Formats: sequence, C-alpha cells, structure tokens
Amino acid sequence: MKRSVLLRIAVRHLASLPFQTFSVIAVVAFSSGLAVALFLLAQGLRLGVIRAVEPFELIVGARGSPYQLVLNTVFLQDAPVGNLSRDFLERLSQDSRIRLAVPLALGDFYRGLPVIGTAGNILEIRPSPASPLWLRPARGRWWEKDFEAVLGAGAAGESGLEIGDIFRTAHGTSLGAAWGGAQGHERDFRVVGVAEPVHGPYDRAIFVSLESIWEEHAGHAGEVTAILAYPASYTAAYSLDVSLRRDAQGQLIFPAQTAIRLFALLGRGEEFLSVIVFAVAACALLTTLLILYWSAATRGKERALLHALGVPRGDLVFLSWLEGALTLLAGALAGGLLGRAGAFAAFAALGEATAMDSHVPLTPQEGAVPFILLSIGSLGVFLAAMAEKTYDLT
Amino acid sequence: MNLLQVRDLRKEYRQPGGAVPALCLDFLDARAGEALAVTGPSGSGKTTLLRLLAASIRPTRGKILFAGQDLGALGEKATAWRARSVGYVFQEMNLLRDFTLRENLLLAAAISGIPPSTARERVLELTRRLGLENRLQHRPSALSLGEQQRAAVARAVLHNPPLLLADEPTASLDAENAGIVLHLLREICAGAGSLLLVATHDESVKKLFPRQVELRRAEGITQ
Repeated sequence: MKRSVLLRIAVRHLASLPFQTFSVIAVVAFSSGLAVALFLLAQGLRLGVIRAVEPFELIVGARGSPYQLVLNTVFLQDAPVGNLSRDFLERLSQDSRIRLAVPLALGDFYRGLPVIGTAGNILEIRPSPASPLWLRPARGRWWEKDFEAVLGAGAAGESGLEIGDIFRTAHGTSLGAAWGGAQGHERDFRVVGVAEPVHGPYDRAIFVSLESIWEEHAGHAGEVTAILAYPASYTAAYSLDVSLRRDAQGQLIFPAQTAIRLFALLGRGEEFLSVIVFAVAACALLTTLLILYWSAATRGKERALLHALGVPRGDLVFLSWLEGALTLLAGALAGGLLGRAGAFAAFAALGEATAMDSHVPLTPQEGAVPFILLSIGSLGVFLAAMAEKTYDLT
Repeated sequence: MNLLQVRDLRKEYRQPGGAVPALCLDFLDARAGEALAVTGPSGSGKTTLLRLLAASIRPTRGKILFAGQDLGALGEKATAWRARSVGYVFQEMNLLRDFTLRENLLLAAAISGIPPSTARERVLELTRRLGLENRLQHRPSALSLGEQQRAAVARAVLHNPPLLLADEPTASLDAENAGIVLHLLREICAGAGSLLLVATHDESVKKLFPRQVELRRAEGITQ
C-alpha cells in the first residue's frame, strides 16, 4: 500500500486524539528541551568564560581568593580583593619580564555600570599577537585628560549617555550605586567617546584615567585594584609567578587556568544534572510508550477493519510505528526549539547582568538527547506495533 | 462454469481444551452472478464460512476453489487477493470514524489498487445510486444506521469484486432499510456478475434468496 496513504491515515489518527497526541509531544518536548537547555547553558557558560578570559594573559592582584580576583577583574563582578600600592605597580611596570602592564582601579560605578580607572596603554592589548587591538574607539575619541570618559559599547546603550554628556560616579557596590548610594563623588566626567564592542563584560564598562579615580579617592591615591600583565615569554610568566609567591602584597593568576579549574567545578555539577536529565528522559520515554501503546490499543478495531479491507499486516505495523514516530519527531523538534529558546532567554538575562557573550553556535551534540529519545522511542514503538494483535473482523 | 467450488470443507479452532469443530460443509458449487443466503442456527459456522471464502483463515481440511484458485494455498498472498477479489459487508458498518464518507470510500479504493481518478468517478456514481451523494463530506457519526450500511455496501462493491460476502448485513437495520440494502446488494451483484453470499438467520431475509445454503452445527450440510 502506498506510503502516502498510510501517512494520511496516521496524521488523521493523531489529529483525532488531540489530547494523547499533545501529551506525548509535550512530554517528549519537555524532557528533550530540558536536556538541550542544560547542554547549551553549560556550553554557553564555558564559551562565555573562555571569550571573557581570552584578552587577559596574567592578572596580578592583591592576595586573596583567585576566583574573586577573576570575578572582579575579568567579569567586573563582586567586590575587589584589595588594593596594590603605587610602589608595587611601579616595580611591576619596570620589570623586564613584563612587556605590558595595564593598571585597573575598580570600585566606582555609574548607575550600576562599572567605572574603570586605567592607563592609556589599555589600548595596546591584543588577545593574541595576531589579533587586532582589543579596545578601540568606535565613535568620538579615547580620553586624553582626566575626567574624560569613554563608554563601553554596552554601557553607551544602557546608560543612555551620549558624547558630550556629563555624569558623576559613585563608590560602592554596583547595586548600592544603582540605588543612588550616599557615597557619590562630586567631580563631573565628560563622555568623549564610545568603544567598539569587545563581546565581553568590558562592554559594560566606562573607562576613565587612573588619575581621575585617584583624585576622587584621596586616601588611596596611587593604588590600583589589579594589573593586567602581558609577559615577555612563558618562562618570564612562570618566573614572575615564583617571585610573587614570595611577595607579601600581590598574587599572580593565570586566568585561563583559573577558568579550567572553574570548569572542573562546573563539570561535577553537570554530571549530576546529566543523571537527572537522563532520568527525566527515561521517564518521558516510558510515559510516551505507554500513551502510544494505549492509543494503538484503542485502534484495534480500526486496524482489524483495514486488515479486512486488504491492508497487509506489515503495513499496519508500519502505520502504528509511523504514528508513534511522527509524534516523537514533533516532540523532539519542539524540544530542540524549546531548549534553544530557554537557553537563549537565560543567556540574554546573563548578558544583561554581565555582558558575557554566551552565544552557542548550532552543534550536532545539542540534538543528542532528542535524537536518542527519537531513536529509542521509535524502536520501542516498533516493538509495541509488532506486539499489537490484529483482530479479524471477517 | 462454476466460479466457486467447495469440497469436503472442515474448520476446527484449536482451543486449550481441544479442537472445537466450527464448520462442516461437504459440497457447494456456485456460478458468477448468483445470490445465495447462508443460513443456520448460531454456532453453525456462517461467519466461519465467509471468513474461509475471504481467505482470512485457512481450512483445517478440504478445498475451496475460486475461479480455479485454491484459497487455502494462498498463504502470504491472501491479503492482496482479498483486497482485489472480495467485497465484504460486515454485521456492523465499520466505517473509519475519523474519515468522511468520501475518504472512507477513496481509502478502500486505494487499498484495492484502483487509480485515484477512476476511484473518484466510481465513488460519485455509487453514492448517487445509493442516495448518499449529499453525505459524502460527513463522518460516519453523522450518518443514520441505514446510510452507514448503504455506505458499507458502496465500499464493498467499489472495486467490482467477483465475490461479495455479507455477514448479517441487516441485523441492526429496520425492515425498510434492510429491504433497501438487500435489494441494492442483489442488484449491484447481478449487474456486475459477482457471486453474492449473505449470511443470515433472519427468515424474512432468507426468503428473498432463490438459493440457500443451510449449515448445521458441525454436521455436514443439506441444500
């Protein structure tokens, strides 16, 4: 019998049992969507961290938690670990093992956007020797004197500031500052330019000169929060690490290594979540098979009629399988889309808070769970179809 | 020339407690265009005989030759042969509930291998003849019992089968509709030269057929 005729019968059968059909599609879509979303979130977080860390070779900061140092230097989150003295900064800047040392002074905010005091040499950073410069003005110019500010690409949109606008910063947590905390500074900054997007947390930053920050924090003049260091060589990097281990004030971290340790921590959580996801998928599969088997059982008389009219038993098995496979396919596709949509929403929320670029390109792996559900489900449906008894009407 | 020849036919159903004799028919010959009533008390094997003639089951013993073909030897080809050669009207109408009358008929035509354009013409012609032309877009639940059974007749004769079997086709109909359905069955079979066998235990139906095959419970047959 023509497959197109069987397909029409299958579609009509599915449409005639909308509740069962919808239940199966929903169960499969939910479980595979959950798996896709978790996979994409884990991948997105990894990629986001890798992209955010990429421009930084070494970070030198005050002694304390290395994770906290990465959080506030790379992701511009959490409170700074502490400050490094002017002497320390000068020593490091003159160290022959360092080819570029970019100081950062963190802790001030404008409406929740981090204000970064830095030196002009931040414009010399390249994520890798062959890459273009990391930071470049897209509009206007870079600051040339104190109390001039350059907005990160995201900060420009979020703050609503334009070139020529005047604003004041505040000291404290981003939340406190956003809420108009009492520690507001009294000097005006003038926006002179907007940077090109860097697709990372620094898009939310407002760049000003170190001296502007020092002038606003009289007691901390000359201090910096961290130094982005670019070593002359790998050997120089490890030699510097050894030296700083003996230093009472500072610590050196390799952000990429810290990220890898972070991934290892994430990995343990992922393993646990994977077990849950597979358990949910297995339950979904079982429920699906039960619903499909029950639906097929209610069609015993129709199968018998089709057989009496001359439809071979093989075609009846194919028909039952087709109904199940179509439902599973719809569920798996919907699950893939749901998972993508869920992950997209999560990334959008994360990006709004951190400007992290967690975009994950389409990968075959994200279809793994929907595909497994579809394959095992189809096999199960096929076996169930084989087991169905065809009653004889004649 | 006989279209149907039955010789020494026995059917037993194997059950856990032993074989149950279901049918005993020593001899039956019938020609194309003939109409026969198959009668007998409940359990005499009326439905079993029709199932054997439709090649849905195989005889335990004996032979059924239809147009020279041994139905017991069809094996895997039985379903295809049935689709091509047999029209079956069931006791209950058994139309597919999710399909309109037109779709039910076209689906049956597709199963029988009738080309779609021919099938569409045939559906129109038959439904006009059976007074169902205005019900083509309705689902079975919207049809009366009489209309449903006429639809079942249309489906059974759609592909002009040489053998038409009807199992108590009027059991659930009132006298008027029963008369219409039987008249149509006989008229269509006579026109197409099909052999018609109608299983019934209804005396009034029996009388409408010039020739009757009377089955007795597991004991041979008298004609």
